[in-house]
Amino acid sequence: MSALIHDGERSDHLVFLLAGELYAVALESIHEIVKVGPITRVPRARADILGVMGVRGRLVTVLDLRRSIQVQDAPIDARSRVLLLQVEEEDVGFLVEEVREVERFTPSQIEPASVLGGIERPYLRGVARRGPEMLVLIDLLPILPGREGSAPNVGGQGLSFSGPGAP
Amino acid sequence: MAERRDDAPDKAREEFFSEASELVDGFGRHLLALEESVENGHGPDPETLNDIFRGVHTLKGLSGLFGAATLSGLSHELENLLDDLRLGRIPLSTAVLDLLFDAVELYGRILSALKGEEAEPREEVLTLLASLAAVSNERSGNVAFIAEYELDPETLGVLTEYEEHRLRSNLQAGLALYRLKAKFPLATIDSALEELKLRVRPVGEIITYLPTGDGGDLDAIDLEILVASRSAAAELRQAVDSDAVSVDEVKKRDLSQARTPPAPRVGERTDDSAMDLPDGRETPSPPPVEDDEPAHASMHPAPHATEAVVMPAAAGGRDISLRSVSQTVRVDIRKLDRLMNALGELSLVRGALLRYAEKLRSEPGTRRLGMDLLGVHRAFERQLAQMQSGILEVRMVPLGQVFDKLARIVRQVSREQNKSVHFVVTGGETEIDKLIVEELSDPLLHMIRNAIDHGIEPIPERAAAGKPDTGTVALNAYQQGNHVVIEVEDDGRGIDPHAVLHKAVTMGLVSMEEAKSFSLEEAVSLVFMQGFSTRDTATAMSGRGIGMDIVKTRIAKLGGLVDIVSEVQIGTKITLTLPVTLAIVGVLTFVVEATVYCMPLSSMEEAVVFDSALVREVDGREVMTHRGVTLPVVRLARLFSEPPAPQRATKQFLIVARVGTRRLGMVVDRLIEQQDVVIKALGRTLAHVRGFAGATDLGDQRVALILDVPSLIEECLTAAEGRRANDASLAFRFGERS
Amino acid sequence: MEDSASTRSFIRAILEGVREGALAGCTVQEATSGFDAMRLLPRGPYDLVLTDINMPDINGLEVIQFVRKSPHHKDTPLVIISTQTSERDIARALALGATAYLRKPFVPEELVATLERVLAPKGGAAPHG
Repeated sequence: MSALIHDGERSDHLVFLLAGELYAVALESIHEIVKVGPITRVPRARADILGVMGVRGRLVTVLDLRRSIQVQDAPIDARSRVLLLQVEEEDVGFLVEEVREVERFTPSQIEPASVLGGIERPYLRGVARRGPEMLVLIDLLPILPGREGSAPNVGGQGLSFSGPGAP
Repeated sequence: MAERRDDAPDKAREEFFSEASELVDGFGRHLLALEESVENGHGPDPETLNDIFRGVHTLKGLSGLFGAATLSGLSHELENLLDDLRLGRIPLSTAVLDLLFDAVELYGRILSALKGEEAEPREEVLTLLASLAAVSNERSGNVAFIAEYELDPETLGVLTEYEEHRLRSNLQAGLALYRLKAKFPLATIDSALEELKLRVRPVGEIITYLPTGDGGDLDAIDLEILVASRSAAAELRQAVDSDAVSVDEVKKRDLSQARTPPAPRVGERTDDSAMDLPDGRETPSPPPVEDDEPAHASMHPAPHATEAVVMPAAAGGRDISLRSVSQTVRVDIRKLDRLMNALGELSLVRGALLRYAEKLRSEPGTRRLGMDLLGVHRAFERQLAQMQSGILEVRMVPLGQVFDKLARIVRQVSREQNKSVHFVVTGGETEIDKLIVEELSDPLLHMIRNAIDHGIEPIPERAAAGKPDTGTVALNAYQQGNHVVIEVEDDGRGIDPHAVLHKAVTMGLVSMEEAKSFSLEEAVSLVFMQGFSTRDTATAMSGRGIGMDIVKTRIAKLGGLVDIVSEVQIGTKITLTLPVTLAIVGVLTFVVEATVYCMPLSSMEEAVVFDSALVREVDGREVMTHRGVTLPVVRLARLFSEPPAPQRATKQFLIVARVGTRRLGMVVDRLIEQQDVVIKALGRTLAHVRGFAGATDLGDQRVALILDVPSLIEECLTAAEGRRANDASLAFRFGERS
Repeated sequence: MEDSASTRSFIRAILEGVREGALAGCTVQEATSGFDAMRLLPRGPYDLVLTDINMPDINGLEVIQFVRKSPHHKDTPLVIISTQTSERDIARALALGATAYLRKPFVPEELVATLERVLAPKGGAAPHG
């Protein structure tokens, strides 16, 4: 996996809103930002997978980033956007509440994730301060199931299901 | 579909249709070439004319065999006309060309009629037949003086009437006659001859090929080839460029008076035209009066058998492109689909193999064996992948197949519209899946019509804009990675984004507010919106009730993209980006609660109204007796934990799915329709979800999941049989990468 | 030999379907061109040769001449199947040694009858004399 934050140089980050908190991801990891189209639910998929969506002929698997990192739910509205990533020839999208702006951070602005305390999460890259605001820097790749790094601990019914007649 | 026995006449009928349409396509292609050569001031190319004649001749024979009377009748008249044309009895005029183009069009419609797709165009055929007969009446005669040449009667005896005519007209035109000789190994004769033809064609016309020798040699054949050419023997030898082929001029018999007659114009008679081929039985007539020298006074008496040398067997890389058509086979696409299905089954076997291998490996006693089996599995998997790509490759056909048809349309539409249009095609050799080619012709047709109808301006308007009278419509195709790009570009009036926006707002397609947020490029793309039409009254051309939105939907269904760029007064370019191959499956679409799903037709037996009263519970599972057999039943709404629809369906349906001998009834809420869809693989992110083979774009922007029946059956039946529910699935996913 | 695939399979279907008479149980070998025929002909005994006249490269007349020159097939019955394009070409074919001529289109019975006639031993008690 490529490091999304380059040490010793400034890097552009996309800032977005999730459940009232500001988050940021490395801009270079985002392929495109699209509006939310009709999403088809995939039964029995992990709980944070909203389903599949067609984007100009391509099939995109859409995850609800709020559920992936276990912040509270919020409804999809006109400000909602999907951040598109291309991972190993697959198109994956992350639903976020609102895209704010692009912000450039120098390494000195970024503190390690451990300042947040709590359990260590593979997708947490660190924390950046911007005046009074605090932005959580995250890495989207470890959130995807079946990728390197352990999957986030999300509740889901993906691996257990019941046959007909089972309780 | 009706039951069909797989017997020979049926097969022959299928071949008849495929061969007939191929012949008709070839006819159209040759006509375009013919038209071009006439327009460029060259006469009609005799070889092309003869190809057309032979095609129609074959078509006539075929249609007779298969009792297609209209086809046969039309071919008969057409054949007469073409015979007159190729024998030079009547000139190839624009009027005649038009008739021939009409014939191509009619052939297509008659074939559709034979398949029951449309009514027979009886009146049009009668009209055309009358016109053909009228033209044939204008024929004129022709003359012979072949006998002046040193050709032995045996050679002359095996010339067909047509070959004799070609020989005569070439000699009349003052061309020299050459005899080429070589020995060809029979094994490679097709490619060797193709190569020779390519070399000779630029300098001369091949009249005929004469096998000599007695057939005693099993592996090689001596061939004499008669060639008419304007070039000197040395030049022809240079063109042939092979020591294995001897080149000799066939002289006129009377050497003392030998002077090549000045090339007479076509139509000028050098002899009495009353001599024109009487009836049959005519043997080569004695030489004309002044020629009283005996035949053997010539310098080179008949055959030089000793000069014949063996032609080297097909030499080097370039012959690949010189291979003749005899090295191609025609395959029914359904046969390839069957192969593809068989491959799918093989993938199931592969999955089972892997499962057993891993089981063996996980147990200490059989670890070694398991490792070996895994190795075998890997080899199997590799070969399977190769087979799959091999079959996909076979499905590839050049886009030229559609492009040729489009050229005819351009011709027709520009005539009707009184516009002058130059149609430029590049990349016809670009290959794409046969199924995509078939789906492409309608959208491309529409785009081209649009370009001529809305794009290219009438001549006065072009003149006023300082543009050349003749507009250009370019059709370009090329491959780009895993995609094929097709561009349709015109130098017409372009699309005015402001006009488009205005129209879209007045039609209520977009709100005023939205309109303000569009960039000019986005505005132009509004022409793809459903219901958009730039003209109030649909013209006969692009009207017909379909617009660019249909083009977009069709292309999206093929997994492709449409982009448009336009500049006012400069022109418009529409770009289609398509996948090179498709995995297309026939599915039944149905609804569970409020969600649409697809069931591959290949995995289902039938769909019937579901009678819940027939269901009983056995060992905690639902079963019912269906057609006398116990059928396990699963309610998909429950299996998929489907969110309930706002309105409950009053009756439900039962889809009986089957894989091998295992059957499963699936209860659904509503059936929609059968359709062919493009399967897109689910990404790795969804690899943990079983039961779905992929997803497809149904054309309304909504994605529907396609059931993976083998895995669902495995899951439901295995669970019921008391095994571990998450036993490794045998599911085969389309496009899944290993 | 015949350069049209569907005509070939039509003829094959007819011939292989014959259950009685001289053609019963016959095997049919297809040649797609004159050259193809020349590859096949010297290699085996054939009881009958069927050919079209209008073919690319080597025409049917040339095939007849080739067959007649071959020591194996001097006397093999040879039937022309062709659409009537030129009376002259048919006359030539018969002059070159073709045994019989059948016009396309034909019905299966005509093909079978013609072939049975040419296969009947010369001067023998052939049903058609």
